[in-house]
Amino acid sequence: MFFTLFEVGAVFFEEYPGTDTRVSVYVVWGILIVVGIIKGFGIGAFFMHLWDDPKIYLRVALFPTVFVLLMLWGIGLSNPEGVNGLPGWCTPDWGEDFTRDR
Amino acid sequence: MSGGGHSDVKNAIWMRALLMAGMIFGLGLASYVGLGVVVAGMKETAWDDEAAHFHDAEDAWKDAVAAGEIDSSDKNEPLYEAKEDAHHHEIEAHLSYLTYRVSGLTLLFVSIIFAVFLGISGIFNSAQPDEEHHDDHHGHEEHHGSASPIIFAFGCMLFLIGFPDFADGLHSLMMGSGNDAISDLSVSMIGLTIITLGIANWWREDLPFKGYGEQLATSDPFDGQHIRKVGIWVFLMSEVMVFATFFSAYLRMRTEWCTKWALDERNCKEGVTETVMTASDYLRPGGAAGTGDFWTLLPGAVNTFALIISSYTIVLALKVAKSHDYKVPSGFMGKIMPDKKSAIRNYLIVTLALGTMFIVLKLVEWSHLIAEGFTIGTEQGSIFYVATGAHGVHVFAGLLIMLYMIFKADTVEWDEENAQGIEYFGLYWHFVDLAWVVIFPAFYLY
Repeated sequence: MFFTLFEVGAVFFEEYPGTDTRVSVYVVWGILIVVGIIKGFGIGAFFMHLWDDPKIYLRVALFPTVFVLLMLWGIGLSNPEGVNGLPGWCTPDWGEDFTRDR
Repeated sequence: MSGGGHSDVKNAIWMRALLMAGMIFGLGLASYVGLGVVVAGMKETAWDDEAAHFHDAEDAWKDAVAAGEIDSSDKNEPLYEAKEDAHHHEIEAHLSYLTYRVSGLTLLFVSIIFAVFLGISGIFNSAQPDEEHHDDHHGHEEHHGSASPIIFAFGCMLFLIGFPDFADGLHSLMMGSGNDAISDLSVSMIGLTIITLGIANWWREDLPFKGYGEQLATSDPFDGQHIRKVGIWVFLMSEVMVFATFFSAYLRMRTEWCTKWALDERNCKEGVTETVMTASDYLRPGGAAGTGDFWTLLPGAVNTFALIISSYTIVLALKVAKSHDYKVPSGFMGKIMPDKKSAIRNYLIVTLALGTMFIVLKLVEWSHLIAEGFTIGTEQGSIFYVATGAHGVHVFAGLLIMLYMIFKADTVEWDEENAQGIEYFGLYWHFVDLAWVVIFPAFYLY
């Protein structure tokens, strides 16, 4: 519950309390992702017993991660900026051969 | 593993399902009358007053503009400020009315569905001869096979095949034009009937079951593991992919949308100044809609607390069920949980109550977002309502299963031999909690 308050606080304050400095969207991302990972770990490891159960269950739980990563890669490729705008490691070495506006 | 056995469930026990159905419907009706009629009625009167006040203030401002006494573009003019202030109060009164009206209606509908499930199962099973309520054909080491999941799945298939027409039919009924509504609803209604009968039959088969011993997998990679536990994990991972599709749609669109946050960070394409409004723009302070404050963020945060606490209460129910020697807690907890049976039942009832609160708050929140103009008719609204709605459906399905678990806790009882039922359902419930932990920041906060 403490972590949820932290998450809500991250978007509640537009500026760092007591200062005029704006909270950057990247800081909000960081807080939401880190808190999400901590909460997810707590639920998976302890409530769902993955910490104590045989490792085969952990492997089953991690199996969809492969597809989720592929999905994220696909999102990068299908983004309008996918070919030219994203960093090189996001896209295969297709060069410009497959782009329409060479 | 072995042990356990079965208990003989007589018709009188099934009749208790009808009693529970009546109690739940009574609670739902009382909640509806209290919240949805009495309090909402008072709030509606207050809303009407505020609306009349706003129209008076607006007329006064328009008259002054028409008479040339004030400039229509002057936002510091007292008449303009009075009009805006009255408008703000009218919106607040409307949202307050919606809160109570939607809460009451949701509790009524949820209680009706709970009562129907319990009632049909009670009538269906108590109508059968007593001697059919135990299954002697299962030895301790035999498979606890059942056709009920297939019946249930067939019902789901019919329901989903007919769902587009079902949604149209419901919409036309709500709009007061019932043309072709019966034919639109028919396929899904047959599906729902088969689902309900499949569940009733499933309950009949499972209620006497006190643990024959878990079937073990005999080949890699699950060699030696409980087959039912492996099954629920594989099912949950398929659910991960279902929710991943919602996230892929959201992330794909979100990377392209020029939201206020993206604009502030100069991440929009050059020249683009129009911003796309997401749900968080309506909910968080500083959002583009200008409607967000502490109170708009609160329901989502409370829902997160509710799901996490409900995950904990189901863990407590499992712990008590698996314990060999239940120790009565001291003080108030000892009074409401004087024995093992009541402890398990009451922990499950708390879980049910928290899950129901989640559904109520979610629908209240939706009603506020719709009232503010964030509807399903936009790309961002469509993705938001489908994703959060799918999660809500998962919570609601969990509540229906929880009803049965409470019924079993109150009749046949859970113990160390059959506690796997709570454990496996708990895995599903924790997954629903986990999905919310991701949905809440992604769709409500960011």
